[in-house]
Amino acid sequence: MMGTRLTSNLQLYGALSADEQRAVDGLVTSTRGVAAGEDLVVEGDTPMQCRVLLDGQAFRHRTLPDGRRQVMAFHIPGDVCDLQGMFLTMDHNVTALGPCEVGLIPHARLSDVMEAHPRIAQGFWRLSLVEAAIFREWMVGMGRRTAYARIAHLFCEMIVRLRAMGLVQQNRCHFPITQQHLSDALGLSAVHTNRTLQALRGEGLLSFQGGELAILDWPGLKAAGEFDDGYLHQAKIAAISAAGA
Amino acid sequence: MAQGPSSEHARLIRKLETIAVLSDMERTALAGLPLRLKPFVENSDLTREGEAPTECCLIVEGLVCRYKLLGAGQRQIMSLHLPGDIPDLQSLHLGVMDHSMGSLTAGRAAYVPHAAVRDLSDRFPNLTAALWRDSLIDASVTREWLCGIGRRSAHQRIAHLICEVFVRSRALHLIEEKTFEFSITQAELGDALGLSTVHVNRVLQDLRADALITWRGKSILVLDWPRLRTAGDFDPAYLHLLGGAAF
Repeated sequence: MMGTRLTSNLQLYGALSADEQRAVDGLVTSTRGVAAGEDLVVEGDTPMQCRVLLDGQAFRHRTLPDGRRQVMAFHIPGDVCDLQGMFLTMDHNVTALGPCEVGLIPHARLSDVMEAHPRIAQGFWRLSLVEAAIFREWMVGMGRRTAYARIAHLFCEMIVRLRAMGLVQQNRCHFPITQQHLSDALGLSAVHTNRTLQALRGEGLLSFQGGELAILDWPGLKAAGEFDDGYLHQAKIAAISAAGA
Repeated sequence: MAQGPSSEHARLIRKLETIAVLSDMERTALAGLPLRLKPFVENSDLTREGEAPTECCLIVEGLVCRYKLLGAGQRQIMSLHLPGDIPDLQSLHLGVMDHSMGSLTAGRAAYVPHAAVRDLSDRFPNLTAALWRDSLIDASVTREWLCGIGRRSAHQRIAHLICEVFVRSRALHLIEEKTFEFSITQAELGDALGLSTVHVNRVLQDLRADALITWRGKSILVLDWPRLRTAGDFDPAYLHLLGGAAF
């Protein structure tokens, strides 16, 4: 089923009934392949459909008038890249990091399903709130963490998110970004990023090469990144939903 | 209606009308929300990280921020909230707070039970959309701050934040002429923008010397809006305000 990635993602934050799962599975009406570097959504767009990543990864970014770029999020399979397009004009771009498969959900169809299933509507709202929590955490990092902690924190975040979607094998995952993406995501210079990455490698915490990330020392990396996964809201919400069901 | 909404309800209605078109029925329903009023003093926590609120907190008066403390005792302020805002709207759907919410000034909050918000949302899909839209705009503001801390100069960051608070205050009808209340210390500005207090102080002196603003006590007077906007690289599009609320 084309929509199952999305269903798995929604279920990280709250259980869905069999009926609700079927409704979410059926949201994606068509898919398309996107090449590495191709834009999925562009600033100023008022899309008529949402794009959910079924395979591959993408990133959100904005370029300031003086040419400096800020990466604002990395997206993995199951993420809806432009949920805000339901309500707002896009104020940034989303671009494929590598080849992606994207599922398209017409807004009208999503509205119908959300109207018929209030818990699905809550689930999508939650997805956008978790996204916002991740933006805030990145802000804390850039405002107050060292370069060393920022990089470690980002790798911790990606491994936890990818693992929840079943995309980590033996502490290894695909994360096809360059050092430039890393610099632009963390507000660092290229030189600083490179030097810090070498330090993390040198301490045996991780290896990161050719878009493959391997966590070699999870407790060490968590400590280096001062990482607490509470802001990802995965287990806690699921526990609350289960208790309330 | 024999009687208009209370001043507290009016704040909420005004806020939602900056981002959504409301019908008379929806306004009446909002005016009927049960509110528990509670004053707060300066520098107090309204909600703490780890708590699971059962009410949403509507700011009626005063300036509130969301923040997170780091192990080393450093604080990052992640957003600023004005009267009419519901900074912890997310608690409706994310059970546990992943940050704290504190006051920067004394003021008043009005607490609305989650159950009452859910009931309203069940009856008025357009209000659900308005509240969701509000949380998406909140995320958009967060991204804008993220860009600022990551890629803008200290000078741009401070000018940008002053522009933001000016435009938001204006949309909420909280300004007179070109003067608006912004009761924030230099240390707090530093915590919001990832800057040291010394750095903030120096930039504020520049902005004054350039005749862009005057900052007296708790109030800012904007002297030259076009130049302040340019100095802050400020484009209000990310606030997604309806109609003429942005300028």
